[in-house]
Amino acid sequence: MSADLPEMPDDDDELLAAEYVLRLLSADLEGVAARRVAEDPEFAARVHHWESRLADLAEELDEVKPSPRVRRALMASVSGAPESRARRWWLAAGLGAATLAALAYVAPLPFLTGGPDLGAELASADGALRFEAQVSGENLVLARLEGGPREGRALELWLIAEDDPAPVSLGVLPDADMAEITLAPAVAARLAGGTLAVSDEPPGGSPTGAPTGEVLAAAPLVEL
Amino acid sequence: MTTRSDIEALIARVALRDRGAFGALYDATSGKLLAICLSVLKDREEAEDTLQEVFLRIWNKADRYAVTGHSPMTWLITLARNIAIDRLRARQRAQNGQDGTETDTLPDSRPGPEASTIAASESQRIVNCLDELPDQRARAVRGAYLEGDSYADLAARFEVPLNTMRTWLRRSLQSLRECMSR
Repeated sequence: MSADLPEMPDDDDELLAAEYVLRLLSADLEGVAARRVAEDPEFAARVHHWESRLADLAEELDEVKPSPRVRRALMASVSGAPESRARRWWLAAGLGAATLAALAYVAPLPFLTGGPDLGAELASADGALRFEAQVSGENLVLARLEGGPREGRALELWLIAEDDPAPVSLGVLPDADMAEITLAPAVAARLAGGTLAVSDEPPGGSPTGAPTGEVLAAAPLVEL
Repeated sequence: MTTRSDIEALIARVALRDRGAFGALYDATSGKLLAICLSVLKDREEAEDTLQEVFLRIWNKADRYAVTGHSPMTWLITLARNIAIDRLRARQRAQNGQDGTETDTLPDSRPGPEASTIAASESQRIVNCLDELPDQRARAVRGAYLEGDSYADLAARFEVPLNTMRTWLRRSLQSLRECMSR
């Protein structure tokens, strides 16, 4: 088995990745491979690729309906979890009507009282970068659904107010799927009718106070 | 039928601790995920316990989904299968009276820069390619993936020496890779 250790030609890495995904490796080698997944992007890509190829095999299995106790236990164990403030607007804005109709369990939507004021769905032209934004008073929540900054770059969020073509920076986006931004009252007052945009910027954000890189995604804020 | 984008939207909402979405995701995918757990563990009660663990993991890890770059079902299937195999291996160790390290949380793989190109160039799917292998070899690959068989399990099942089994399976994987990239 020592022949499978790192520093081998491509074919051996490819096989090691496949055996790792299949869970055929001994505990020792599995540990070695797991470290490589974390540290070696090329090996991780091979693993990822095999995971994706092999997952198709699960199509051969007929679904088995779990007994109701599993769902009851699960729903009970998550019921104490804190609910996100963002939940209501997600229910309101996150899914189209057709999707909602298809999903039985979102039926009673308790989002109408005290919900968000404005929202926007931002997507790049190729769909590789997608965000949903929601504003309630002076709180803006931005959820990143797809994509992220380019290598060594940052993403910055801008407001282009209705009456002023100069974009106002709302901040550099953190490396997280959810960002919560507290807006200055003067900025919050200018949101209605405005447009949100995300631009590609150097790390730390635009050095000039105006977008310096490509505007990757933009969308008007609409009333929810 | 729940579509891929429906499931993706549900996972995104589960990441925001949306319990309604969690219930809907469970309803849409638990049948398939239980089938996988059962296929690996061959014990209904243990499979259902595992399913519960899988969904708790989904509840806690949904925010990791986007960075894996997988399709939503691939992510869910991979997660469920790995947890089921962790259980299977733990059970086998307990039966053999050995202790071992829980591998449990395998790190998330991510596509490298070239991965999407490779994926896009593959037109053949694995199911078609398995049909090109000799029957026993295709069954061995399925046994490893769908039932979590180890090399030792497979060698016993097909009554061949362990090293022969290993050679068979590696050749099969090479053939599959070639077939899928045709």
